Amino acid sequence: MSKITTGKFSLEDLENVQITINNIVGAIETKAEEEGVEMGPTPKPGISSLRNWDYKLLSRYQPVYTPVCDQCCYCTFGKCDLGGNKEGACGINMEAHQAREFLLRVITGAAAHAGHGRHILHHLIEKHGGDHPINVGPSNLLAPNTQMVTGIMPKTLGDLEKVMDYVEEQLTQLLATIHVGQEGSSLDFESKAMHGGMLDHVGMEVSDLAQISCMGMPKSDPEAPLAEIGMGCIDSTKPVLLVIGHNVAGVTYIMDYMREHDLDDKMELAGLCCTAIDMTRYQTDKGGQPRAKIIGALAKELKMIRSAAPDVIIVDEQCVRADVLDEAKRLFIPVITTNEKIMYGLPDRSKDSADKIIEDLSSGKEAGALILDFDLLGEVAPRLAMKMAPIREAKGIKSLPSDEELKTLTASCVQCGACELVCPNNLPIMNAMTAAVAGDITKFEKLHDHCIACGRCDPVCPKGIPILNVIEKAAQRAIREEKGKMRAGRGQISDPEIREEGVNLVMGTTPGILAMVGCSNYPEGTKDLYTVANEMLQRNYIVVMSGCSAMDLGMYKDEEGKTLYEKYPAKFLAGNLINVGSCVSNAHITGTAIKVAAIFAQRNITGNYEEIADYIMNRIGAVGVAWGAYSQKASSIATGCNRLGIPVIVGPHGSKYRRALIGKPYNEEDWKVYDARNGEEMPIPSSPEFLLTTAETIEELMPMIAKNCIRPSDNNMGRMIKLTHYIELSQKYLGHLPEDWYKFVRVETDLPITRREELLKILEKEHGWEIDWKRKKIISGPTMKLDVSAQPTNVKRLCKESVC
Amino acid sequence: MADEFPFEISPMFEGERIRKDNMHVELAGPKSIGFELVRATDMKDVEDGKFTLIGPDLSEMAEGSRYPVAMIYKIAGELVETDLESIVERRNHEFQNYIQGFMHLNQRDDVWLRVSKDAIKKGLTSFEPVAKAIMMLFKNELPFIEKVEAVYITDQAEIEKEIDNARAVYKARDERTKGLHDEDVDTFYGCTLCASFAPTNVCVITPDRISLCGAINWFDGRAAAKVDPEGPQFAIEKGELLDASSGEYSGVNDLAKRLSSGEYDRIKLHSFFEYPHTSCGCFEVVGFYIPEVDGIGWVDRDFAGTAPNGLQFSTMAGQTGGGKQVVGFLGIGVNYFRSPKFISGDGGWDRVVWMPNMLKQKILDSIPEDVKDKIATDENINDIESLKNFLKEKEHPVIKRWVVEEEETIEEEEESQPSEAQYYQPMQYVPQQMPAGFMPSMAMMGGSGSGGVKIILKNAKVTVDKIIVKKIE
Repeated sequence: MSKITTGKFSLEDLENVQITINNIVGAIETKAEEEGVEMGPTPKPGISSLRNWDYKLLSRYQPVYTPVCDQCCYCTFGKCDLGGNKEGACGINMEAHQAREFLLRVITGAAAHAGHGRHILHHLIEKHGGDHPINVGPSNLLAPNTQMVTGIMPKTLGDLEKVMDYVEEQLTQLLATIHVGQEGSSLDFESKAMHGGMLDHVGMEVSDLAQISCMGMPKSDPEAPLAEIGMGCIDSTKPVLLVIGHNVAGVTYIMDYMREHDLDDKMELAGLCCTAIDMTRYQTDKGGQPRAKIIGALAKELKMIRSAAPDVIIVDEQCVRADVLDEAKRLFIPVITTNEKIMYGLPDRSKDSADKIIEDLSSGKEAGALILDFDLLGEVAPRLAMKMAPIREAKGIKSLPSDEELKTLTASCVQCGACELVCPNNLPIMNAMTAAVAGDITKFEKLHDHCIACGRCDPVCPKGIPILNVIEKAAQRAIREEKGKMRAGRGQISDPEIREEGVNLVMGTTPGILAMVGCSNYPEGTKDLYTVANEMLQRNYIVVMSGCSAMDLGMYKDEEGKTLYEKYPAKFLAGNLINVGSCVSNAHITGTAIKVAAIFAQRNITGNYEEIADYIMNRIGAVGVAWGAYSQKASSIATGCNRLGIPVIVGPHGSKYRRALIGKPYNEEDWKVYDARNGEEMPIPSSPEFLLTTAETIEELMPMIAKNCIRPSDNNMGRMIKLTHYIELSQKYLGHLPEDWYKFVRVETDLPITRREELLKILEKEHGWEIDWKRKKIISGPTMKLDVSAQPTNVKRLCKESVC
Repeated sequence: MADEFPFEISPMFEGERIRKDNMHVELAGPKSIGFELVRATDMKDVEDGKFTLIGPDLSEMAEGSRYPVAMIYKIAGELVETDLESIVERRNHEFQNYIQGFMHLNQRDDVWLRVSKDAIKKGLTSFEPVAKAIMMLFKNELPFIEKVEAVYITDQAEIEKEIDNARAVYKARDERTKGLHDEDVDTFYGCTLCASFAPTNVCVITPDRISLCGAINWFDGRAAAKVDPEGPQFAIEKGELLDASSGEYSGVNDLAKRLSSGEYDRIKLHSFFEYPHTSCGCFEVVGFYIPEVDGIGWVDRDFAGTAPNGLQFSTMAGQTGGGKQVVGFLGIGVNYFRSPKFISGDGGWDRVVWMPNMLKQKILDSIPEDVKDKIATDENINDIESLKNFLKEKEHPVIKRWVVEEEETIEEEEESQPSEAQYYQPMQYVPQQMPAGFMPSMAMMGGSGSGGVKIILKNAKVTVDKIIVKKIE
């Protein structure tokens, strides 16, 4: 029986007999059995399979909504005003609708990654075959998210297809529930959102495993090379080919063509967003150096186009501005779309000859082309860039005003404030105008760092000042200085690295893991990321970056002119700074937590979501931070973390979805779990205190990170170091002892060693704890006791039967 | 409390490096001399909190200068004993690095310190607050220290007078450590620190067996147990010796039973095959049984290649760990190779047949002379067949086992397959269950026999839309 596979069969012994088997139900279980792996209770979970787990999370971390809009505009029974406890025409209430809105965001994000994953997988299977092995570095667990969720242990690209089938099917089921007259419970919408978040991590994992395995990207490599980043690192005297998006599949053909035709030194290949990250990963696994430069994240798109430096723009998918074609047209930059997700109304030239396309685009006959054939794209893009550069130069195309014009433009500002009103960051544009008139452009330079180049200011100016262009012109000096370094994405964290780090995690040398993810638009510009990462790295946290924030972190340099990537090593070790890679590499962050459970506790991963999430939530001190804006993808990534019990903090911009999952530390009943040794209830500290919450400033953020790395299972060394940083960061940035620090103290050895006596005194005096001063021991006071062998769990079935 | 010192003290400054251009003064180091020493002293001979400086103080040291330094701490207390000196002494390194603007490298008479310009600017003018801070931290961390007194020396002649004495203490200590074996003590120590991640793991720490992570030796365990007898490191009465060669003690077995909630009831400290010690996951090296040669190979975390059995470190490591007793693989810390009882239950070094060259070089001193050259490495041996030949050629002690085996198994072999795996010795040495995917018998899968009904189909077309595979209830 074990040999049954799908397909058509003719058997030798049978005359004229053809057997067709379409589908084998239970195949995953059988395969797992063959390989000696025990299958957990929930392989390929459906929407309801992990609902109990979600409800557990949501009862401690209750959803809070503060909607901006009281209306539901989903159908034409309405619009319906849901304010003041009113129900809509379909019967939905405000909470359920808000949860539904959030679900929609999550599955939109998850679908973006999954769509990307399916596309690149399809492409790579066509190119390399379904039996191409997955090779991601020295790991036993190749696909932790996939294996945990689906029970499938993929070994080849072909195996990944089954995984995508599952993700897509579930996403369709989830999308269906958005329709009018489906779910009515907000908690069930929340549970569905968590399901979507979980699927997202599987979809991302598939994307990255496929491309790492086939495109020569670094394989769990702590020595991944450094790539150049920043508008200042582009040599615009050469033809510039600019790529925008997230899916590197087509770009690799361009890179291959450039190499084969010796064009690497003759032109600049630059990228924006995650395609840029993946371009610098391409073929660097065997000591190769990055062959492309990174401009930066989404916030640099319009700035880069407006600089007029690009000679050709290639776009693929996700986080590409909708007006790229219009903006490019004005500057005579041809645009090539390469992916069905973005086609901009351009004619499909996939079957035309390269010469013809180049002719049409360089003559200006067409503003752009859709090319879905990558071989053709590979040839057209670089050739076109080489051809366009001299043409555009001859035409003298520029978009930024001259010095003279700058003066006139700034002087024409009437200080009406229209621009500041529409600016998402409410930046002080009027002030900068006034200062520039007086000859001081430093204010504009500062604006440049804070401005996300959304361009909303331009059309509202009654005087017609092209405000973004003015900012960029005034900041030319700063832009030339914008040259940083980013470590090329290294992919997964390997098993051996996790084993090595184990000692630090146990001995408290590593107080926690901080994952900084999400998109640009930080309250204080890129410096925010730098300040937080640097502070936490000095304190030996492991800082993990990905996607946009990985890029933005590389933009800021210290006094010595070094970026943090140059300053800190990149292993999975205390005080190390890691860039896992592009957006889809976020799956490796959750993957690492899953691996910890597999490695140190030998937990069965396969199809065993709830148990692993429970392990992570109670034991692994990891916190995610999305400090900038928060795309739909970012919200699905965060929600996937949440379902695994990993808390996420969003910054002022991320808070705009106006939803949080917050615990109530004062409600003692909420902070109890079972001890798996005997099933008895045990109290736990209120940490993580939330699954999703907001911080307004980095000063507020940093102590919050430290505190929410505390976990019920901490031993005294771990708790001591976590508490040390919580207290120190609170005093350093907020100027006072945190008010709840004592709640995390179980024994005197939990107290920061440098201030043990002082804190014991406070415990005695302010909290009435009894202290034996001779032995410096706490006699009474703590509500919890230290027992490292206790096994906290939220899941009753994981407990041994009570002995008594 | 922290306000009384003219500097900040925090673990966050531990990684701080003070480079030349930000250095006010360098103390000891490769171009000077110095040492640090902790001595257990009688209560009456220690004046708690006292600091004495012999030689110039920081304020008298010019920018860019270099001085020798000695730091002597006398500790006293009811529970203080000579064996704990080294534990306290090692903390001097850690704690001095907690001080902002103060860098401490190495240990003992290799110490190398630097004080930064910024620290001086912020008001650090004397060694006194440094010593006071260290003394405070000693007492905080290790409350069995009831009294502590510090003497710092920056006078060259004075240090030269003292340094030989310090070296004699180090030497005596090392000899004590080296000469101390499992049989010399009544107490072992258990460590459950890693239960926070590996909930069922218990490390047994003995003089001949450092903790698996390499971070805690018997002396550390002793010190920690004195600080808090109920803490995560605790004393184990070793009880009765049940088997000397494999290191089985009744006290350890009792503990295993209790802490694993009965999951296992025996642990042999120095055994590979029978009731081996559990591991958490941090292990630096994993040992693997090679049935074809009846020997044991070892592969370390840094080795990226494949072992002769065709597997990588991560694959084999994935079979063990998590506080489970797994036979056929064993995770250890590199330092365990240095133990005189290294897998003594299974023939010790005579059973070791292969390891990566880098690892071998690292521990070369600890390998007995007579097998040193007989252990194959990745440099020349990468498959079982050539390993067999290598061992035969070098007359590795393990081949003696082959002969015995051939005789023992001869009958069986006649029944089953002839020749081929003459030396192949299946389960005999492996009394417990083997992990899946481990034995080479995996390769023999496929030809499974089937009986029952015979169905003959002719001219038929069978379309199966769905096959449901279920476990047989």
